[in-house]
Amino acid sequence: MTPRATRRQVLIGAGALAAAAAAAPILAACQPATQKTGGSGKVVVMTDPNEFSDDDRKTLEDATKLKIEVVKSDLTTLYAMWAAGNPPDIFRVQAAGLPQYISRKMVKSLQSYFANSKLLKPEDLAPANSFYRSDGKTVGKGDLYGMVKDWSPDFTLFAYTKAFADAGVTVPSDTTPLSYDELHALAKKVDRKQGGKRVYWGFVHSNNDQWIDRTAMNMLAEKNQNLYADDFSKLVISANPEALKVVRYLYDLAAEGLQQSPVDPSPNWMGADFNNGQIALLQYGYWFSAMAESDTTKGKTVMLPAPTWAGVRRDPTMTATGWVISSQTKDADAAWTVFEQYMGGKPAQDRAKSGWGVPGLRSLYAQMPQDTAFQKQVQKVLQGELPKSDFVLQFNPYIGEQTFSTSWTKNLEPALKGQIGFDKFVQNIESEVNTAIADGKRIIGG
Amino acid sequence: MTAATGALPRAAPLSALWRRRGVRKAATFYLLISPWILGFVFLSAIPLALAFLMSFTNYDGLNLDYVRLVGLDNYTRAFTDADAQHALGRTLVLMVAVVPTGLVVQLALALMLNQPIRLSPLFRTIFYLPYVIPVVAGAWVWKLFTDPTGGLLNALLGLITPDANIRWLVEYPTVVLALFTIWAGAGGGMVVFLAGLQGIPAEYREAAMIDGASGAQVTRYITLPLLTPVIFFNLVIGIIAALQILVQPMLLAPGIVGLGPGTVPPSDNYLYVVHGYITIFVHQLFGYGSALLWLLFLVVVALTFVLFKTSRRWVFYGVEP
Amino acid sequence: MTLAVRPRAPGRGVALALRYGPLLVAATAFTLPLFWVVVTSLKKQSEYNASPVVIVPPSPQWVNYELAVELADFARFAFNSIVLSSTYAVLVVLTSALVGFGFARHRAPGRDRLFAVVLATLMVPSLVQFVPQFVLFARLGLTNTYWPWVLWGLGGSPFAIFLFRQFFSSFPRELDDAAEVDGAGPLRIFSRIYLPNSGPAIAATAIFMFLWVWGDYLYPTLLLGVNNTTLAVRMANAYVDPRGNPLQTVTMAGVVLYVLPLVAFFAFAQRFIVRGIVTTGIKG
Repeated sequence: MTPRATRRQVLIGAGALAAAAAAAPILAACQPATQKTGGSGKVVVMTDPNEFSDDDRKTLEDATKLKIEVVKSDLTTLYAMWAAGNPPDIFRVQAAGLPQYISRKMVKSLQSYFANSKLLKPEDLAPANSFYRSDGKTVGKGDLYGMVKDWSPDFTLFAYTKAFADAGVTVPSDTTPLSYDELHALAKKVDRKQGGKRVYWGFVHSNNDQWIDRTAMNMLAEKNQNLYADDFSKLVISANPEALKVVRYLYDLAAEGLQQSPVDPSPNWMGADFNNGQIALLQYGYWFSAMAESDTTKGKTVMLPAPTWAGVRRDPTMTATGWVISSQTKDADAAWTVFEQYMGGKPAQDRAKSGWGVPGLRSLYAQMPQDTAFQKQVQKVLQGELPKSDFVLQFNPYIGEQTFSTSWTKNLEPALKGQIGFDKFVQNIESEVNTAIADGKRIIGG
Repeated sequence: MTAATGALPRAAPLSALWRRRGVRKAATFYLLISPWILGFVFLSAIPLALAFLMSFTNYDGLNLDYVRLVGLDNYTRAFTDADAQHALGRTLVLMVAVVPTGLVVQLALALMLNQPIRLSPLFRTIFYLPYVIPVVAGAWVWKLFTDPTGGLLNALLGLITPDANIRWLVEYPTVVLALFTIWAGAGGGMVVFLAGLQGIPAEYREAAMIDGASGAQVTRYITLPLLTPVIFFNLVIGIIAALQILVQPMLLAPGIVGLGPGTVPPSDNYLYVVHGYITIFVHQLFGYGSALLWLLFLVVVALTFVLFKTSRRWVFYGVEP
Repeated sequence: MTLAVRPRAPGRGVALALRYGPLLVAATAFTLPLFWVVVTSLKKQSEYNASPVVIVPPSPQWVNYELAVELADFARFAFNSIVLSSTYAVLVVLTSALVGFGFARHRAPGRDRLFAVVLATLMVPSLVQFVPQFVLFARLGLTNTYWPWVLWGLGGSPFAIFLFRQFFSSFPRELDDAAEVDGAGPLRIFSRIYLPNSGPAIAATAIFMFLWVWGDYLYPTLLLGVNNTTLAVRMANAYVDPRGNPLQTVTMAGVVLYVLPLVAFFAFAQRFIVRGIVTTGIKG
């Protein structure tokens, strides 16, 4: 019976391909009128509307005398636009995805623009911008490909003092950093369940595991190591005792119910849970201070310095959200004008004053809010973190941002349910990520 | 217009051709379906061809500079992909759980509502509403509804067995997914069944009643057989839909409701198209992902083919189309 | 739609219970999550997942409904959705009915193969076509417009074609033959015999097609811009507080508002679906 069906498939396929071949010239002729060469006066920006309000757009349009079209930042749409040959002029990226775009030559080097810019002087750039530097092999040095819109040292902690009071434990000092082991012990003490229902999670981190690889990488970097081999050709955990230790540490946090996990989930993200007073210790960067105080947590929140794994304190950003200009932009000068204004003009000052992040330019640091007692406390801790923030994390240029974390989450569930052991958990992650790396390398021909 | 039969004269002018009934009928047919043909050729064929072509390449969604043909590699890879096999298994399990149950529920609802009932618009609306609620919102509702801490379900169960406190989404994810799918899909199938029931001439039922048949007998021997084309429709549509479920398990995954990359359903709900989605948007393997999806297409075609072939036995069209 | 009044003899109670019993059970089961939607929509954010479970919010937050309208610019995007959905529904029902009629009633060489192609398109996983569809419409310059839906409407929907074909297949052929003898052509047969008797199928299909566009999230995100997109897309992103936290309570209020016009429309369309449900003297 099936041969008949297969023949049908072939017929359909062949027919369709023939139609496509016939139609291709027609499509090629139907180029949309918007594909102008440089000087069209329009710049397409793909970004998050939460970071780029309509007012921002109007401000920029006035300042640059250009028309700005905003497309909502969405991976599918980005892929589709690239496939259609018409990617946005500017798009939003995070540090973890950037090495891949660089290795695929999808972003434009902005070194010459920065060198000549009045607003964005290379000496004025905050440390986090190192994530946007690459010499083609390593991130952190070389040409600038973009800039952060703002950033935070992302490994600081926020403590909900009521959870500590309820457990009879003193809140750690905000001048002395903890070690991760001390943090673990502390989290166990403040973690609380009542009658099977969750009262407080002890220590929640890594943006609900979406950034688990970044947390691990930062810990390993204290010992000058990384999750990946030096040439990024492999993920190495089981063959590296230190990496295994780090992974075990993070796994245990979930296994002991201190971290939100697939077997102990919340229907909300960790920031909202903190606001609802359900988390004792939360690891997020300075930006979270802008929303940490809800009705429930007001007056009961304290920011603490980043913990350390091996005694070497490192507190860089792990997101470095910012903008890049695509290599296929038709008007790089126009795109740069918009870019420059967003990163150094009025929108940048507004961002600095809002307290939602440390500015990308050092000269704007002074604009961060310091009015309330909480904001003052936060600034105090921040000043201690900034000197420790001039580091980068070396992301793998062959895979996408979520490859590791998806593999982690996917295997964590059966592991925590006891269906696979810890060794198999690690093995699965290694095999899945290494397959992805091999795929990525093959595509580039590396 | 009499049907012209018999041989045509040797020189066959067009008008003579037209008088042949077969030709006229054929021309009529093609004219009637011409909107679909045009739509298919210009709007479907090209994306389908591209999608098909994509499955033979190493396209990864980023720029096109590195795209190459890789022959059948993507297809053979699918057969060694343990995740794909697991996902296919879970999808078939879900299909077997959801489709027959869903059909029964839809049919039962339609039969119940087809009787003279007070307030029938109200009942109709209640059963139809879940179908209308957007999927994202529906998922939110079920997440909150089944939440161990603040959900209504556990609260109600707590009245019967205190401290049951079942963590639905963690321990029985497939049950929740199945219930959600049936609940959300019931209204659609129900409406189709109702339309079908309306299409059954009342005289048939009345004649049977006059002959002394009971309500149940009428249903069994008259209504259901005449309804089989519609049952068949819902069955085929149901199976096609069940095999393609993507969004619901992603939205019900632990954690916050969202479709972004990084959302992974628990392994029981790791369905086939979910695997395809993750392959494409997380692992950036558009080529391989497309191949996986085209393989699913083959499975669907095969199943549908079997359904059609076996339908002769039990679907009663009244008149052959 | 009136109920015939008949004297209720004793023993009717059983029949009544049989008729209404299962219905009430089913209705309750279906309503529970819906009930939860309404209840959640009236809670404060701090209550939505509180324990012990809050079943009746002590102070109903009607403000959530105001927020639902405001944050999503409800009227404007609802209008977009209505325009898009109705255009598509009207076009697609007409063409699909015509095409379904063709498949159901007209023999021709290749008919069954073509119908197989129609079904085959239904079976292609839609995910695989996303990027290619975008490429097609981008090259035609039709992204950010409503044209894709107009074109899809004009081409018919395989789902609707399948449905009409099944539905028309059960019409007695004698009607066709009689009309043909009287000299009617296929279009007249279609418009005089098939269409008028298809009220329920047309209504059902129109509702399906309308709802497909109304609730679709993926294609509008891909093909439409931030300003002319549909309510479904807008609502999925709009209900967050100034900090970016999702507002489940307001989302539930949005769901209620989203569903209300459809309920009204459905109540109105019921006339056509249930036309013909008149008591015919069926006992029990």
